[in-house]
Amino acid sequence: MSMAVVTWQRLNVVGKILAIAVPVLIALGLVTVGVAILAGPFAIEFVGDNVPLLRFVAAIGAVLLLTIPTAFVVIFMELKVIARMNLRVGPDRVGPYGTAMSVVHGLKFLSKEDFAPLGVDLQVFTIAPVVVFVGSVMTFLVIPFAPGLFGLDMNVGVLYLFAMGGLTVVGLLMAGWASFNKYSLLGGLRSAAQMVSYEIPLTLSLVGVVLLAGTMSLNQMVLAQSGSIADWYVWQQPLAFVIFIIAGIAEANRSPFDLTEADQEIVAGFATEYSGMRFGFFFFAEYVNVFVVSALIVTFFLGGWTAPFDWPFPVAVAIDPLAWGVGSLVAILALPVVGTLVLAAPFWLSSRITTLQALVIGFILFNVVAIGLVLGWAFVSLDWVSGLFWFFAKSYVFVFFFVWLRGSLPRVRIDQLMGFAWKWLLPAALLNIFVTAAAIVIVNR
Amino acid sequence: MSIPETIPIIGASWDDVLFVLFAVAMLGSALLVVTLRDIIRSGVAMIACFAALAGLYVLLGSPIMAATQVLVYIGAISILVLFAIMLTQTKSGPARLVFQTQWWAAAIAAVLLVVVLTAVVVSTDWGAGPPQESTTSDVARLLFDAYTLPFEAVSVLLLAAVIGGIFLAKRDPSGDEAGR
Repeated sequence: MSMAVVTWQRLNVVGKILAIAVPVLIALGLVTVGVAILAGPFAIEFVGDNVPLLRFVAAIGAVLLLTIPTAFVVIFMELKVIARMNLRVGPDRVGPYGTAMSVVHGLKFLSKEDFAPLGVDLQVFTIAPVVVFVGSVMTFLVIPFAPGLFGLDMNVGVLYLFAMGGLTVVGLLMAGWASFNKYSLLGGLRSAAQMVSYEIPLTLSLVGVVLLAGTMSLNQMVLAQSGSIADWYVWQQPLAFVIFIIAGIAEANRSPFDLTEADQEIVAGFATEYSGMRFGFFFFAEYVNVFVVSALIVTFFLGGWTAPFDWPFPVAVAIDPLAWGVGSLVAILALPVVGTLVLAAPFWLSSRITTLQALVIGFILFNVVAIGLVLGWAFVSLDWVSGLFWFFAKSYVFVFFFVWLRGSLPRVRIDQLMGFAWKWLLPAALLNIFVTAAAIVIVNR
Repeated sequence: MSIPETIPIIGASWDDVLFVLFAVAMLGSALLVVTLRDIIRSGVAMIACFAALAGLYVLLGSPIMAATQVLVYIGAISILVLFAIMLTQTKSGPARLVFQTQWWAAAIAAVLLVVVLTAVVVSTDWGAGPPQESTTSDVARLLFDAYTLPFEAVSVLLLAAVIGGIFLAKRDPSGDEAGR
């Protein structure tokens, strides 16, 4: 045997992977550099000339990508928070505090067989999860995440949101019918009845907000609420706030209104016959919907990305590394070393650990401190970072609220559900419109 | 290097291409509605047809019309149609529907519709130039200023329909001879 074969066989698995990966990576890097040199100027020119188009494409891509971490975080919260409420520990094996559990769930869905039972209407059965997923994901497009950070500032944003909500119902109904299963059909019919009924109070409760803001663009609505915490619409529209939360829970098919997949009554409703990633799409859409409803509550009633109070310490930290000249280079090189040593010193002096362990602890601590400082600096001096922070903080409060509801409330009956929508929520929403309109006329007179 | 205003060889603008795409999708799915023999699939094709029509509204510069189209026609009317079909149909019943006995009535209706539509298209003054963008406030101003009376008349009509529906669906309290 030649030398190469013998050397190859002596390598362990990691060595073999590295032996293949390193040359490939080097070649890819060289190709990238070559392409960048050759096509770079053209690419920059192309980007400069087509900013609106590329911004739209980037927004769509970002929206699709954002659903993955969102769903993972919501799933983890659901597992962990409900476990704590049930006096259980919840997932704690995969990752720190079980944080990687939702990733495992996702991989599990991917690895399962994609099975379609006999008698299903295969084409409709296949399209249905896609329609549900697209319906939920597209709502992300108009949500303003931070100042200037939104997919599309549509002047019919509110109408668009409810139109996309209607698409979800179509998908659920298609799934229920195509599954060729009585429980699935019941789940689909329940979802149609429930979502069409609750869409009406949901839409009507927003009319008051639209009247106050004078616009249907979500971005303009947030701008209309900026100022202080007193400008948030929740103080002027408390009834609409409550109606929107209740109807939003029903729209997202969440407990206590999760009649469409009530497992004690109709197995899993519309999702009974689904398996593998098709089932995964339904659940992805459900968890994305939880976040979307929370984000909409925050956007319409709680000021979106606006901070609840002004940052009390106005600091304008302008770091200009170029002004320091060579000093900045020295600082960049020396700071990690000095920081690591300084942070490692107390551990090395106080306890009987080895020098290497102390250095590792110091390095980790230095990284934590450095990342914290950079994030703090960004929060204070960049308004979109603080906007993002407040938006996600407020939204996840409501995500927690939804999980809390699921952990504590029993499911309602279907007749109670429908009666509540038509006999209580709808008149309350209409009353809210009249009161708001009258108040606006009186105040502006 | 910007993307050219028109397509290089054909010379048609991008809006025209989109228009043709949406129109083909709309007409194709409309054809599917009448040719498919599974009624649920016909319903799904109808939803696709409405969606393509919404796309055409966006192209014509009326996003509010498009959003309303999706909201009302896909989100409510199609859902109710599918809902009614699913409640009344079973898979054990005749899966393939037999409309074909009424083809002559349908043909007469189709010809009449074509004549009426052609007359309307020919007699309308379409104006010149590109379509104007219509904003929400424009529509609202028209609706509550020039067309207030028709708007209110439609409201009263819908109210009457709602009351009629409740009356028809109401159970007779005595329990016998309901709906007399």
